[in-house]
Amino acid sequence: MENKSIYIFEAERIGNYLLGVTVQDSEKNTYADAMQKLNIQLSNYEQALWNSMIKSKSKMACIDAALALKEPNNNARRKLFTMLAIIEASPNYTSYFLSRNFSFFYIVKIGLVGMRAVCRAIVGIFIINSIKRKCN
Amino acid sequence: MQLSYDYIVVGSGATGAIVANSLVEVGVNVAVLDVGVEDEQYKEIIPDKDFVSIRKEYSDQKDYFLGKQFEGIPWETAKVGSQLTPPRSFLTQLTEKLIPFESDSFKPMESMAKGGLGGGWGLGCYEFSKPELDAIGLKEPEMLRAYDAVANHIGISGIKDDGAPYCLRDLKNVQPVSELEQNLSGVFTSYNIQKNSLNKKGIFVGRSALALLTKDKDNRSAVQYRDMDFWSDKDKSAYRSWMTIDQLKEKSNFAYHKNCLVLKFKEHDSGVDVIVKRTDTNEEQIFTCKKLILSPGVLGTARIVIRSFDYKKEQLPVICNPYCYIPCLQWRMLGKEIEQKKTSLGQLVMYLDENRNNFDVGMAALFSYRSLLLFKLIKETPLNYSDARIIMQYLQSSFTIAGIHHPEKGSASKFICMKKDADTYTGDLLTGQYILSEQEIRTNEKREQKIKLALKSLGCQPLKTVYTPHGGSIHYAGTLPFNDNGQMFSIHSNGKLGGTKNVFVADGSGFNYLPAKGLTFTLMANAYNVAKNVLKND
Ligand SMILES: Cc1cc2nc3c(=O)[nH]c(=O)nc-3n(C[C@H](O)[C@H](O)[C@H](O)COP(=O)(O)OP(=O)(O)OC[C@H]3O[C@@H](n4cnc5c(N)ncnc54)[C@H](O)[C@@H]3O)c2cc1C
Repeated sequence: MENKSIYIFEAERIGNYLLGVTVQDSEKNTYADAMQKLNIQLSNYEQALWNSMIKSKSKMACIDAALALKEPNNNARRKLFTMLAIIEASPNYTSYFLSRNFSFFYIVKIGLVGMRAVCRAIVGIFIINSIKRKCN
Repeated sequence: MQLSYDYIVVGSGATGAIVANSLVEVGVNVAVLDVGVEDEQYKEIIPDKDFVSIRKEYSDQKDYFLGKQFEGIPWETAKVGSQLTPPRSFLTQLTEKLIPFESDSFKPMESMAKGGLGGGWGLGCYEFSKPELDAIGLKEPEMLRAYDAVANHIGISGIKDDGAPYCLRDLKNVQPVSELEQNLSGVFTSYNIQKNSLNKKGIFVGRSALALLTKDKDNRSAVQYRDMDFWSDKDKSAYRSWMTIDQLKEKSNFAYHKNCLVLKFKEHDSGVDVIVKRTDTNEEQIFTCKKLILSPGVLGTARIVIRSFDYKKEQLPVICNPYCYIPCLQWRMLGKEIEQKKTSLGQLVMYLDENRNNFDVGMAALFSYRSLLLFKLIKETPLNYSDARIIMQYLQSSFTIAGIHHPEKGSASKFICMKKDADTYTGDLLTGQYILSEQEIRTNEKREQKIKLALKSLGCQPLKTVYTPHGGSIHYAGTLPFNDNGQMFSIHSNGKLGGTKNVFVADGSGFNYLPAKGLTFTLMANAYNVAKNVLKND
């Protein structure tokens, strides 16, 4: 039961990071169910990363971006990935995933998002290096 | 339970179903022995709707899109077989336990399912050319008749265009081609504009011949363009081998025995004993027949034959098409909404026929991306998930994926080997090695380079080349090469297994060569001929 409330809290944070909205209870419950079934084990280092990610949305974004480049298979990311899949497989959030006609100028937004991702990765690399040092 | 039949067929996959059907049609008494795993979890819960409607309306979609145990959320590096969606994962269920295979360089996919790998195949049908059939060891006139008979049974749609010499040839009774989706239609238009210059380089593009109905046939409906091809077979428009088995089950001269893992056979004066380990009770059972037809897939046949010949030879050759895929960006499709009605099938094929002789042709099947869901694409980007989601939602309509198969022949460094191993279910273990020579690797790379250039000229910018481990093409052959001298561990061109009187092989074990084009239609046509030969042999 205690675990479940932790997972519900995680789901809320991750959902907010991924889509910028408060996800519905059904998705939070599915995430809790997934965590119980998948039983993702974190090493000390991964746990330290996770503790830092869960504290704030911006840290989550930066650490995720850095890990995507340097350690894409880090288990802390697996939690985010699981929630991403859960949100996609829900009728509540299809507009975030299904294709649609974008205006020609949307490509500018895409460019900016790409640049933001790079900046996040640079900041994230500093964060994960300092966490790594502390863990060693 | 009846244990004695005139004809016993091992396996219900692409080849087994055709052999059984051809035998039952003439009225003889036939049984299929099979492990016969079926999907009991997902079939009933997938709605009879199109992909977009399901995505927008159904709250339980996570159960089949992600799997009830979330097994459809891949994490570690992809294994062969991990491309199967949760509703298709039954295809490889029990294989690790019942038919383990160990190798660092060869990772084949096998099936213990009712309908075999034929339950999930991509439906691509290719009638091989005369030079290809010669190299395999098959006779063209008989094969042409068999191709027509199989096409009649399974239903094939296609069109006579530039690709026809490589797939349809002169096949009769072809249903109209399916409607081409927008993503691939841009590529095809571009090809038609530039075709003269591309043809000079040996590049030809045409619509795929698919075992997909575009008109109703028997109890199967024409394709509804629901884009659920990776998930369900609701309308039965796609041919799956289990459909033939289900039809046969209604005939009085046919029996289907599931939970039967065939271990080996033993010939005696009046016929053949088939030794089976029942997977429900783990007990041994003996069936008898006048003639035995093996079609458990190439590796399955190798296991049974090696055991039956008392491990006199443990190492056998094997052939498997090298395979890679290239995700490409098609600029003209950027930021567009994907149409609601489409299929997920490879509707377009590019052929590279450098010598214009329809031999050693390279092949790229072209697909768009949607119904496998966006999160799997997002995982492949080196970006954080929240930003990658925004970018990939924009890009998804412009992804065109080229799955490249290379033609292949055997060599001393490509083999399988059976070893006794008391710790396994059957007391033995199949291992193998698959290593290409430097020369073969160079030839394949050159072919890929030419295909990439052609893709670029059609507006598809290749992003990267993803190599799957050997075995990933799921096309296997050549373990008991065709040879008419009757030697053990070879197959006569009429399908009879060397060293036996009444045992035939109907899968691809005899094939001496594998064209890049999918082999399954040819496997089925050969299986049809083997059934005819079995009857003649009486
Ligand atoms: C995802 C996917 C896409 C594909 N796409 C294409 C394509 O587009 N074009 C193409 O040409 N090919 C394609 N293929 C390959 C095609 O499915 C195979 O070539 C074909 O199914 C092989 O037929 P088979 O009868 O030899 O074996 P299978 O279809 O695998 O059948 C084997 C059968 O034997 C049974 N069996 C095995 N061992 C035993 C035993 N010891 N005792 C009892 N029963 C046993 C199994 O239960 C099964 O029923 C694809 C395959 C997959 C998985």
